[in-house]
Amino acid sequence: MSNSYHRNAVLALRDVVKTYEMGAEKVHALSGVSLDINRNEYVAIMGPSGSGKSTLMNIIGCLDIPTSGSYSLDGEMVANKSEGELAEIRNRMIGFVFQTFNLIPRADIFHNVELPLVYGGIPKAERRQRTEEAIEQVGLADRMKHKPNELSGGQRQRVAIARALVFNPSIILADEPTGNLDTKTGEEIMGMFDDLHAAGQTIILVTHEDNIARHANRAIHLRDGKIERDVVTSGDAAAA
Amino acid sequence: MNTTLDIVESFKIAWAAIIANKARGALTTLGIIIGIVAVTTTMTAFNGMQSSFSQAAGAIGVDVVYVSRMPWIVMNDFFDFRNRPNLNISEAQQLEKAFEGRAIVNPSIDTRRDLRFHSRTMEGVSIIGTTEKMPIITNRMPEYGRFLMEFDVRYKKNAAIIGYEVAEDLFGSVNPLNKEINIGRYTFRVAGVMEEQGGNTLGGPNFDRQVFIPISTFIKSFGGRRFMDVDIAVKASAISTLDDLEYEVIGEMRKIRKLRPTEPENFSINKLDSLLGAFNSIVGAVLGIGLLVTSIALFVGGIGVMNIMFVSVTERTREIGIRKAIGAKRRSILMQFLFESATICLLGGLIGILISAGLAAAINASGMMPASLSPGIMLASIIVSVVVGVFAGLVPAFKGARLDPIDALRYE
Repeated sequence: MSNSYHRNAVLALRDVVKTYEMGAEKVHALSGVSLDINRNEYVAIMGPSGSGKSTLMNIIGCLDIPTSGSYSLDGEMVANKSEGELAEIRNRMIGFVFQTFNLIPRADIFHNVELPLVYGGIPKAERRQRTEEAIEQVGLADRMKHKPNELSGGQRQRVAIARALVFNPSIILADEPTGNLDTKTGEEIMGMFDDLHAAGQTIILVTHEDNIARHANRAIHLRDGKIERDVVTSGDAAAA
Repeated sequence: MNTTLDIVESFKIAWAAIIANKARGALTTLGIIIGIVAVTTTMTAFNGMQSSFSQAAGAIGVDVVYVSRMPWIVMNDFFDFRNRPNLNISEAQQLEKAFEGRAIVNPSIDTRRDLRFHSRTMEGVSIIGTTEKMPIITNRMPEYGRFLMEFDVRYKKNAAIIGYEVAEDLFGSVNPLNKEINIGRYTFRVAGVMEEQGGNTLGGPNFDRQVFIPISTFIKSFGGRRFMDVDIAVKASAISTLDDLEYEVIGEMRKIRKLRPTEPENFSINKLDSLLGAFNSIVGAVLGIGLLVTSIALFVGGIGVMNIMFVSVTERTREIGIRKAIGAKRRSILMQFLFESATICLLGGLIGILISAGLAAAINASGMMPASLSPGIMLASIIVSVVVGVFAGLVPAFKGARLDPIDALRYE
């Protein structure tokens, strides 16, 4: 595999190692992962628990930094950034969607979606406009003043997607986005990711479910901290 | 991040958090309320003491220098002064002559005697022998009747000008003017009644419980040798500063007493300043102790807030994780919690100020002393409560800000 970064890669990992120290014992969560993901790819990262899937997601999401190896996101070298710089990268380049939605319960929908822009220091008028646009995009314009606990699970996940989109990120990183939803609602949410992908968004799904992964065009299988298989799939669920 | 944005947003977030936990917020605030009430009430009392003191001090006169045998404030150096000669009336007269046309010189002597009017008596009333110049020094005038006049002094008249309280207690509803009263064994005729001074605070002299008589009469009637110690008040009329006046008075007195340049003065110069200094150091000490004690109340309140902030941070670990994941920096999280604790304390401070204002009004109405919550105290309370809030929030906020986003997101 070439050591140069692919020109169209939005994200490139080279020999990424992540080691945790559990007391005296060293645990290799990732042992040498190299990976390019191009702009507008729709990728599923798969693997059983303990495969290093979560660790990889944390590193891609800039929530954690590799023990060794390099990681560049949209041209930014992430590996040796400070905590504050990582926060900025997460803020502007990454849109998170979590299994448990992770909305702030006290804040209404508008404020939840607005929050990345607040932390990004966007002026109020622009914040308002962009927030409303994002909420409209997920079809919840009539729920702006509602609290998360007044919405259904599917609606909450749509709010989370709006929050992920609001700052126009380089990648959307979705960790088991349908894990807490029934099948029908899950399919609705996946349809939403399909639409975002069709509109040019780069999407990375972390999942262990094949029928979710089937929406993506590429599946990266992890096992024991290494990439076991990296396959191009048809993305037939998206096409269907 | 834009700082003003930060502040507005932090405040909004803080407010939402407090509103979400009203009962807890109210209980926490209580500690701060008690602390602020204690501190502001102490300071209000201090202000009250000061203003009643300055009321009394007005009667001494700010531009007057007093020559006396002893300093007004004798600490532990009493034995240095006890062998000094008394100031006598002839020295006062010489001083008056020396300052003729440049300063008003007024001697006075005082003692205590019982008063009697028919069957009514008052015990131990302050009797002051002085001259017609007294009102120039003290700015105190009779409310009705007249003050002493020059001929009273010259002809040793048995005229008496009585204080407001003396008039009330001895005469009740009877008009005291031209009535005869007994001062000790002597009979005097009331020529005037002084205005009410109301300076009856803090063990200071009660200016309403005094009787003025001519100094000449005083010496004739009460002037055994032991009582011949005169106080001489010198008020500048044509001398520019109080320091110059003091300097000149010392010079003249040394001449009168024929002191050699090497000899120390055997008299004392007193000014309002020296009294003020002593007052301030005493009241300052009381205030200091009071503030120390009340600060403990505030401190305990602050600990309560800190405790609640720890709970608040722990409760919202996951929220902190979410915020960090979407781009909050340490500083933003820190600000969020600092604003929360500062807001709790500010609320407590504001409620405390309202309660203190009520207490001050009650103290005022009770007539103990003039008391009102000054804008300075209010501002200080607001600042203090915010500072307490920031300090109480600091450690919990740091704890929250330093959380690892991955751990925080995993927190159940």
